[in-house]
Amino acid sequence: MIPDILNILISGIFYASILFLVSAGLQLVFGVQKIFNLACGSFYALGAYTGVSFIVAAQSLGLPPILSLIPLLLAGFSLFFIGPIIERGLLKFIYGRDDHFQLLLTFAIVLMFEDVIKFVWGTSPQLITKVYQAYGQIDILGVTFPVYNLIVILSSLIFAGLIGYMLARTKFGRIIRATADNREVSEALGVNMKMVNVKVFTLGTVLGTLGGALVIPATAAITEMGVDLIVLAFAVVVIGGLGSMKGAFFGAMIVGVLRSISVATYPELELLIIYLIVIGVLVYKPEGIFGGTGT
Amino acid sequence: MLSFMAIVLFILVLPRFGFQYASYLMLTFFGYGVAVLGWNLLFGYTGLLSFGHALFFAVGAYTLAFLMNKFSIFHMEAILLITVIISGALAALVGAICIRYTRVYFGMLTLAFNMLFYSFLLKFYYITGGDEGMNVSRPYLLGIDFLGIPKMQFLTGTYYYYAWAVLVIATLIMYGIVSSPFGHCLKAIRDNPEKATYLGIDIKRYRWYAFIISGIYTAVGGVLVAPVVGLVDPSMAYWTHSGTFVFMALLGGFVNFLGPLLGAVLYIFLQDTIMSLLYYWRFVFGAMLAFIVIAAPGGITGFIGSLMNKEETGV
Amino acid sequence: MCEEERAVILNASDVCKYYGDFCALEGVSFSIKENEFVSIIGPNGAGKTTLINVLTGLFKPSRGKVFFKDRDITGIGPEKLSKLGLARSFQLVNIFPEFTVMEFIKVAIISRQGKGTQFYHLLAHDKEIERQAQEVANLFGLQGKRNVLAKNLPQGDKKLLDIASAFALQPEVILLDEPTSGVSTSDKNKIMETLVSASKKIGIKSIIQVEHDMDIVFSFSDRIIALHQGKILADGTPQEFEKNEEVVCTVMGQKECFKIFSGLGKDEGSS
Repeated sequence: MIPDILNILISGIFYASILFLVSAGLQLVFGVQKIFNLACGSFYALGAYTGVSFIVAAQSLGLPPILSLIPLLLAGFSLFFIGPIIERGLLKFIYGRDDHFQLLLTFAIVLMFEDVIKFVWGTSPQLITKVYQAYGQIDILGVTFPVYNLIVILSSLIFAGLIGYMLARTKFGRIIRATADNREVSEALGVNMKMVNVKVFTLGTVLGTLGGALVIPATAAITEMGVDLIVLAFAVVVIGGLGSMKGAFFGAMIVGVLRSISVATYPELELLIIYLIVIGVLVYKPEGIFGGTGT
Repeated sequence: MLSFMAIVLFILVLPRFGFQYASYLMLTFFGYGVAVLGWNLLFGYTGLLSFGHALFFAVGAYTLAFLMNKFSIFHMEAILLITVIISGALAALVGAICIRYTRVYFGMLTLAFNMLFYSFLLKFYYITGGDEGMNVSRPYLLGIDFLGIPKMQFLTGTYYYYAWAVLVIATLIMYGIVSSPFGHCLKAIRDNPEKATYLGIDIKRYRWYAFIISGIYTAVGGVLVAPVVGLVDPSMAYWTHSGTFVFMALLGGFVNFLGPLLGAVLYIFLQDTIMSLLYYWRFVFGAMLAFIVIAAPGGITGFIGSLMNKEETGV
Repeated sequence: MCEEERAVILNASDVCKYYGDFCALEGVSFSIKENEFVSIIGPNGAGKTTLINVLTGLFKPSRGKVFFKDRDITGIGPEKLSKLGLARSFQLVNIFPEFTVMEFIKVAIISRQGKGTQFYHLLAHDKEIERQAQEVANLFGLQGKRNVLAKNLPQGDKKLLDIASAFALQPEVILLDEPTSGVSTSDKNKIMETLVSASKKIGIKSIIQVEHDMDIVFSFSDRIIALHQGKILADGTPQEFEKNEEVVCTVMGQKECFKIFSGLGKDEGSS
């Protein structure tokens, strides 16, 4: 009984870690550019498919499965170039416009990416085998956990720490917080908004692609994964509070664990439970748990 | 007004000239036309962007499927009436929560309700047929059973005129609504909600009414499309389908009353054409949407309008 | 003297408003009677805007109450208040940019007549609304621009339109937030005279305005309330104000001080 509960919990936290990465990207972009980026799901999908390709390539070069984390991380990071392309190529034209149009532009990007992925990887699910099992399982206090889950949870915590450090201690982080708080004042104080926009959006992109790459040993890459994810990422940021990093963290935990519990008990209720909570949060505390401005 | 009449007549006689396939496509346009007119009441006239109208579309479609398959109610008029009541009640409920918020939060809430309904349709397969959906046959129009006639002939014949009539009536009613004092208040709320409040307008209540009307229209659209497709399935309720209404209204132009209708017919024909030419039609549509949003947010009617450059200034 | 017999129409009682530690209003109490034209004056930051927002039910005061015709309107919100008969115009022009002048005024008339829920007849066919909107446009001299979009009007006309729409509600009391701000000096008097004559024709009982221009204040007011650092410094007729050097100099600034008390540039009598 207890081992089952703990496994559900760890599986939930594993998924939460992935959700956190993608949602963190979403929050950063929303905080600074005030755009709710529907395409974060697309970045996630892109990262996943690229992860598969990198692993397949690495395996053909003889890389032992246990080192698969390296090509996965590489896959996630290497996609950073998508960020500037989208930001400078499309987003920059609509800053300052009505936020309806900003949302619509990111929706257009979602549509385009769906076909880009289909074009490169086709429509059948992409799976990598051997990697998840290669990491084996670990015995902690008589309960066995998959090691890969723990690795991803750890990585995510490290990334969370890095982001937190960046926001609190570095100059860039301060600029992000200032701009999220008051864009015009920051600009007036001489912050180079162009650079900030590109950098922040790129960071958001990479967080999304990393999330996708890291999840790939545990699931298959399928066509709908990006669009499916935005539905959950959106739940995370609403529960946690739009624009808040802490919110992304706790929102991801809640959604990840709830999902895991539901999948193990009543799978039909998975989205239902999550969305009832979303609606509940929006009705009673629309700013979310950690809502308000700033990160 | 004259051009409107000309178009009405043209569409009416289309099937007679043997344009079978085009007529078939027009059938989906009739349903989507009603649906997107409803959507645009919220966006173009009240300033609320809904990303969840697929919810109502699916409600309409599934209501038809349920009534026909489980309750053996085949009369279209009864189905339409029941759909209006059910969707109206649902819109009242959902709307009561959603209209208390605006902008991103409103959009997010509509998306949330939309996906809630989607997951219900998908997961409760013993009621809804799950991801296989439910097959739908032909309803009785004006009390007459047309099951004897081959399907395509029925669709491009009697059903064509019926659906067309519904669209025309729905359009006229919507025109009346947006030209009424109520419609005027909606535009005021869209333009400057604060000022509207100071002039004594209860903006929440009016938004709620608009939401209800909007939901009903989109549900009726779903009812009209279902027999054409022959199948209702959860994909009708997926949030990207909500994006379709948005696209249609934006393509045609959301400021002009007939813009969304133009957008709907263009979208349907474009989608059909591009889908047959190119596998990657979503990319093309995504690019089109991006272009519209960046360069021509007023859509086609907006573009034409700015070309005609109406006289507006006066000092 | 019929002073005492006039009914009190608006009453603020010990109104205080705190924002955290900052006190925006403290112990503000006054009554406005019917047929009074009251000007609220004071330097920037004195609390005038906060006071207006409290009077128009937008903010709930931290303490104290506001009564309108013996009814407690504390914090009921602008929409309900408009329906009760108290309307307001804005310092920074608050318009419906995409509406023409006539469409703009019609919003107020639709609201007043409760026709907002009529979905079933065409606005264009409603002759009654058209006639009333035309009357209001005429009162404010905007009839020549009836089909001009609000956003394309010159600044002074935008202001007039904003005020006209508030007047179209036929309120009993109207609160004008700096009606002549942002308007050229030559237009100021014209606007004020338009306002006063329009209010007589419409039947507005009392006018309250926040105003910085002392010439206007002295020319048109029956009574002046001076606000300073959230408190009422003085409340009286223009004549009483002119005699009170301390108030004038604190509230109205050196220029007015000099003007009035050195005997130069005395105003040529009130309205």
